[in-house]
Amino acid sequence: MKLNMNVQKLFRRPLFGIFLLFGIIAVSTSWVCIATVDSQLSEEYESNSRGIAQTIADASVDIILNRDLSALQSLIDQFLEIQGISYIYIVNEDGEFLAHTFVPGIPGEILASDPADTGTVERVLAGADSYVEVGSPILAGVAGSVHIGMDKSVITLKIQQAVGRQMYLISSIFLVGIVAAIMLMNLAARPVEHLLTYAVQLARAEQEGEPVPGALLERDDEAGQLARLLLYFSRVADPEKAGATARPEAS
Amino acid sequence: MWQSTMPLTFGTLAAFPLLEIHAQFSSMRALTRRKFLRTSILGGLAAPWLGRGAAFAQDETAGSPAGFHEGVSADEILLGTSAAFSGPSRGLGIELYRGAQACFTRVNEQGGVGGRRIALRLYDDGYQPVPSVQNTMELLLRDRVFALFGYVGTPTVTRVLPILKKFQEENVYMFFPFTGAQPQREPPYGEFAFNLRASYREETAGLVENFLRIGRRRIAVFYQADAYGRSGWAGVREALGARGEQIVGEATYTRGAAYGRGMGEQVEILRNSSPDAVICIGAYGACAAFLRDAIDLGLEVPIANLSFVGSENLLQLITDSVDDSERYTRYLVNSQVVPSYEDESIPVVREYAELMDRYRPEVPEPLRQPDYVPFDRSFVSLEGFVNAKMLVEILGRMGDSPSRARLEQAVFTVRDYDLGIGEMVSFSEQRRQGMQRLYYTVVDQGRFVPLDDWRARFG
Repeated sequence: MKLNMNVQKLFRRPLFGIFLLFGIIAVSTSWVCIATVDSQLSEEYESNSRGIAQTIADASVDIILNRDLSALQSLIDQFLEIQGISYIYIVNEDGEFLAHTFVPGIPGEILASDPADTGTVERVLAGADSYVEVGSPILAGVAGSVHIGMDKSVITLKIQQAVGRQMYLISSIFLVGIVAAIMLMNLAARPVEHLLTYAVQLARAEQEGEPVPGALLERDDEAGQLARLLLYFSRVADPEKAGATARPEAS
Repeated sequence: MWQSTMPLTFGTLAAFPLLEIHAQFSSMRALTRRKFLRTSILGGLAAPWLGRGAAFAQDETAGSPAGFHEGVSADEILLGTSAAFSGPSRGLGIELYRGAQACFTRVNEQGGVGGRRIALRLYDDGYQPVPSVQNTMELLLRDRVFALFGYVGTPTVTRVLPILKKFQEENVYMFFPFTGAQPQREPPYGEFAFNLRASYREETAGLVENFLRIGRRRIAVFYQADAYGRSGWAGVREALGARGEQIVGEATYTRGAAYGRGMGEQVEILRNSSPDAVICIGAYGACAAFLRDAIDLGLEVPIANLSFVGSENLLQLITDSVDDSERYTRYLVNSQVVPSYEDESIPVVREYAELMDRYRPEVPEPLRQPDYVPFDRSFVSLEGFVNAKMLVEILGRMGDSPSRARLEQAVFTVRDYDLGIGEMVSFSEQRRQGMQRLYYTVVDQGRFVPLDDWRARFG
C-alpha cells in the first residue's frame, strides 16, 4: 500500500495522535490490570490460605488432643499439594513446632518470629523466595496455631500471565488499528491526490494550450465540484477565455 | 498371583484421606462405592487407560471375581498388598514380600489353610501415599481381597486407614503393616488394623533410654519430612520429655531421597546443636547418605536408625560406596523388631532360614527390578516371614469356612501363642499389637550383630 508523501504529511499529526492514544490506552490498561490482578489474586490467595489454615486448625484440635502427631503431619502434607502453598507449620501454645513441612530444617526467620501472631506477614526466607504467611489459631489459640506460607512468585507469575494476555490483546488491536487507519487515510487522501494532479495538469494545459483533462470534472462528489471550481477560476483569471464554456473537451 | 502397578490418576482418590477433615469434604464423606465407581469411570474417560475404568464397572456389576466371595474361593484365599516395589525404598517392599512368600509357599505346598492356598495380589505404590490409596481401592473394589496384608510405610498406611473405616461394614482389616506408627494402633482407625511388630514409640523410647543411660543426653533427630518421620520424632520427643530432656536439634529430608543425594545441609544443622547422638527416622537411601556425610563432615557420634530403615540395604550402600566402610559403620546402631536372622537357636529364625534357602522367593516378573539383588537373609524379610506365619495361624483358626465377619474374633483367640520367636503373642480388643520386644544391632566385620553392651560400644 503506497501512501502519497503529501498526503502523509497532511495526516502525520492524526497518525501521531493515534499512536499516542493507543500508547496511553495500553499503559493505563496494563497498569490498571496489574493493580487489579495483583490486588485480587493476593486477596484470593490470602483468603483461600486463611480458609485452609482454618480448616487445618479445626481438624487439628482432635489430633493434638487425642492422637499421634504423625496424623497431624499426614494432614498438612496433603494440603501442601495445593498450588501456591509452600510451607505449613503448626505450633502448640508454647510455640513448640508440632508438625511442619520444612526441608532441611525450620528457617531461622520463622524460628525467630512470634508463633502466636496469626496475622498476615510477608517473609523473605534466606536462600528462598518471598512468601506471604497467614495463620489461624487452634481452639482460639489455647492449643496453638496453624501457619501457611504462600509463594509470592506464584502470584507474580499469575500477574505476568494476566498482563501478558492483556498486552497481547492491546498490541493486536493496535496493529490492526494502525493498518486500518493508514487504509482509511489513503481512502480519504485519494480525492485530494486526484485534485492535486488535476490542478497541475490544468496549470500545464493553461500554460501550454493543451486540452484540459476532463475525467475529474465529471464526478459528482466534492472532488468534482472543486475541479470544476478550479477550472472556473482559471478561466476567470484568463480574460481571453472568460466567456468560454467551462465544460471540458472530450479527452 | 500378581498385578502390576496402576498409575495414579483421578483426583477423587487423592481426597479420600481428607474424609475426616472438614465439612467442605462432606460430599466425599458420603461417597458410596457406586458413586466412586461412576467417578472413577468418568475419570478414566480422560485417561489413556480407559480399560481400567471399565474393568471397575464390570467387577461392580459382576460381584466378586469368579468363584470368589469376599476374597475366598473353594481353593484359594486372596490377600491384597500395596507396597514399595520400585523407587529408592523398593528394598523394603521386595524383602518383606520375599519373607512372607517363603512362608506362604510352604503352607501352599502342604495343602494351604483349610484346603485353600494363599494367594497375594501385589501392587506397587513406590512408597507414595496417593498410589497406595488407589491400589487399595483396586484391591477392595475390583479384586475383592479377603484382607490387606504386607503394606509398607507410614505415609502410605495413614492415608489408607480412612478407607478401611469407610468399608467397616464389610469387615476389611489390614494385617501387620511394615510400620510402627501410631495411627493404626489407636482410635479412630486402630480397630481396623492388626500389628505384630513393636511401635516406633517403643523403638525410639528404647534408643533414648539406652543413650541416656550411657550419658548421651543431647539427642538430635534426622527424619523424613512426612508422617513416618513425624511419628518417630514424636516418639523421641515423648521419650526425652519423660526424662526431662528435649530434642537438641532436628533436620529433615524429602521422602524418596536416594543415596546419591547430599545431606551436608542436614549434617550442618545438626552439628550446630552439638549432639551426643542422632536418631534417624528414615529409609535406607537417605539414612545411608546422612551417615556418609555426617562422618565425612566430622559429626562422629552414634547414629541410630529404626527397624524400618532396611538395615542390610543401608549397609550395602555404605560398603559399596566407600573404601573404609568400618570408619562409617562403627557409629551405626539400628533397632530391630525381630531377632538376628543369624541366630538359629531361635526356632522361627531356623525355619525362616531353611525356607528362604529352599524357595529363594522372588518378586513376580512385572514387578521385579532387574538391578536389585535380593538378600539371602535380612531383618525385613524375616519380619515378612513372621507376619505371614502369624496370619496363617489366624486364618487356620477360622476352620473350613473363613469369612471376613469372623476374622476379628479369630485374631482375638490368639492368646500367648508361641510363634517360635521367643516372645508370646497375644491379641485382644484392647491389644492390637502382638509383640513388643526390641533388639539392637551394630555392624561388626560387615554384618549386623546384636549389641549387648552400649557403654562399651558408645560410652
